[in-house]
Amino acid sequence: MKALNYLRADTIDSALQYLDEFKQDIRIIAGGTDLVVRLKQDMVKENNILDISRIKELNGIFRENGTIHVLPLTTHTDILESEVIDKYAFILREACATIGSPQIRNRGTLGGNIVNASPAGDSISALFVQTAKLKLKSINGERVVSIEEFFTGPGKTILKPNELLVDIFMPELEENETGFFKKLGQRDALAISVLNVAVKMRRRGAGTNTFDRAVVAFGAVAPTVVRGRRVENAIISSSLDSSKQIHYIARLAFREVSPISDIRASLKYRQDMSINLLYEGLLDLRANDWKRKT
Amino acid sequence: MVQTMDISFALNGKEYKLSVPANAVLLDIIRDKMHLTGTKEGCGRGECGACTILFNGRSVNACLILAPQADGAEIVTVEGADVERKLLSIQKAFVEEGAIQCGFCTPGMIMSSLYLLNKNPNPSISEIREGISGNLCRCTGYVKIIKAVERASKDIGK
Repeated sequence: MKALNYLRADTIDSALQYLDEFKQDIRIIAGGTDLVVRLKQDMVKENNILDISRIKELNGIFRENGTIHVLPLTTHTDILESEVIDKYAFILREACATIGSPQIRNRGTLGGNIVNASPAGDSISALFVQTAKLKLKSINGERVVSIEEFFTGPGKTILKPNELLVDIFMPELEENETGFFKKLGQRDALAISVLNVAVKMRRRGAGTNTFDRAVVAFGAVAPTVVRGRRVENAIISSSLDSSKQIHYIARLAFREVSPISDIRASLKYRQDMSINLLYEGLLDLRANDWKRKT
Repeated sequence: MVQTMDISFALNGKEYKLSVPANAVLLDIIRDKMHLTGTKEGCGRGECGACTILFNGRSVNACLILAPQADGAEIVTVEGADVERKLLSIQKAFVEEGAIQCGFCTPGMIMSSLYLLNKNPNPSISEIREGISGNLCRCTGYVKIIKAVERASKDIGK
């Protein structure tokens, strides 16, 4: 590993000062599960490493006026152990449960998964369908952006060099909202998604197979996570009565994704599996009277 | 010039103060500076689990923690039976079940088992499999390891 200048901030203010001072030559470390691997491979050009892992103001989960806040230093294990998340953000919970291994989930943070901006980042598809917002702060002020606006390409975001992700928040899931996160990997543990899909739908009422709101997102099938708007519209405008109807809707996924072939899967396989994963997820939900799996 | 940082941590219940290079990982400090070589380096990138330790009570890959990040931490390695009594029972169960072949993954497996049993004293088979899912073993096929964790959970419960 090359020589580094290690800096540590214990407050948001001090982190923002460092970021502003070193601007183009500073990289943030939190859990380090991704960055340390890159440092070892000499893939990090910055010489200053800013450790934010001790900033207490950036760690925690809380509810406020129908919104659930998951602060960026929250680890995936914290998310899995939170009753609040289990109740009000269970799609995110399902996604975080598939990340890495116990050791990685114990150290890796939600904020890190977001700012790394991998098209295959598992939490990101779930945050898309839970319509999360991000608060970005610099010494000049702060701004709030939607999770969809945040990503511009693989590993690329709109985060400015002097900005810090300080909050991740989303509306609490309502009683009549359902959904799932599904991931296809080459194995169960320590697998990068070949692709993943997340769905959130609001049911019109008990006993019906109709929905008045739907959000669908696919991961690892395009340069960023993408929304499946044709699928969403089809869910809202039809009744999901039969497996045939569900398959018809799932087939629309084909037109939403623009995957590439890489070491994990071919383009064609990803296209086919985006349909199948969505189909399987919707069928499972229907078999359980549209209630989340527990 | 490599920057060094003065840090302190508790390792297996004892307090240490030392100076570490900013670009070292905790695994190297444990092995080369503290001379505790039970913790192994396999892949060096968080995939094999051979370097698993407890860091503030949670299992982590020591190969992915920058040494300065360990400042103030409480660390337990496979040598830490003085602070984690369950380690003895788990180690014994691994020996009795023949859950060790080449032995390279064993310290990491034992630390993941310890973390699991601290959280969940009576895990099911599938919970054990999930608990050791961050640890690779190329010898045993895992069956005997899973039996060993099961046996350890019963022994500790007695």
